[in-house]
Amino acid sequence: MTNMFQQILALIIIAFFVSRLIWQRRKDEISNREFIFWLFFWFVAGGAILSLKWIDTLVAKLGFSGKGIEVLLYLGVALAFYLIFKMRIKLEKMDRNLTQIVREIAIREKK
Amino acid sequence: MAELQNKTKTFCIIPAFNEEKNIIRVVKEVLPLVSEVVVVDDASTDQTSALLKKLQVENQIGKLTILKHAINRHQGASLQTGNEYAISKGAEIIVHFDADGQFLASEIKDLTEPIERDEADVVLGSRFLEKKSQIPHFKKYIIFPLARLVNRILMGVNLSDPQSGFRALSRSSAEKITIKQGRSAHCSEILSKIFEYKLRVREVPITVIYEDFGQRFSGGIRIIKDLLLGKIID
Repeated sequence: MTNMFQQILALIIIAFFVSRLIWQRRKDEISNREFIFWLFFWFVAGGAILSLKWIDTLVAKLGFSGKGIEVLLYLGVALAFYLIFKMRIKLEKMDRNLTQIVREIAIREKK
Repeated sequence: MAELQNKTKTFCIIPAFNEEKNIIRVVKEVLPLVSEVVVVDDASTDQTSALLKKLQVENQIGKLTILKHAINRHQGASLQTGNEYAISKGAEIIVHFDADGQFLASEIKDLTEPIERDEADVVLGSRFLEKKSQIPHFKKYIIFPLARLVNRILMGVNLSDPQSGFRALSRSSAEKITIKQGRSAHCSEILSKIFEYKLRVREVPITVIYEDFGQRFSGGIRIIKDLLLGKIID
């Protein structure tokens, strides 16, 4: 019963994020590619929530002692770290591009 | 002060960010010793730019060029801006010099001479050879040994002064060494590239007048982080 309540809660949260995603796409705040990526992500998350029992069995077969939901949480944290890392690298590249523009303007103004 | 005696086209790059207290004195000291001084004003918010322009107008100094970054991009980025400008103007030797007055202009020739004699491609000023710079104990015994260790591990570089900003580069070296690290990690990056491109490097003793500037421990941590990130991106 508790499990079902948690699943419903998780699905409501996912539904909220999907509705936000659709709203952002309609307002043209995100690209089509980003929309599809995140829609896929939330559908996979929703599917995982609905298949918790199956995931429990799978996790147990793989030899993990934790429950399926715990493994999902670990994977979620790992994914979040990976995305932050990717974003950090993207920011650094943007920073370098910005420097290049500032440099070219500084030199061009002098010539 | 020894005036410019030879015909080698030497450009001195001085990155400056809010250096109104020292910049004019430093530029006046360096000007007679090189072919051209290039000050890269890194979006200073004080009177640095205005004072330099005044100096240019009052003295009609053609040897002084001011490049202005529209937004602050930090010291490494400023040096690269200066390098690219100097190369485009036909510089044969490029000297990097700090705007805060911690180096002695009279020692520029000590760095340029080995390049003029074709004995080195890059000459680095070192605070740890012969001359006695008044280095604070915390830096001398904690920060610098740690910096040397990081340079050795991350960059495979083994030199006496890991963070000296006083250096001279031949034109061909400056063309090879593109400084990508905008912040303080550029010192380690330059050392790394010297070894990567197998350039002939020499260290010469320099005097450093310390006040309250230079790297702090937190700055060192930032350098390590920037170097690691740079290794991933490049």
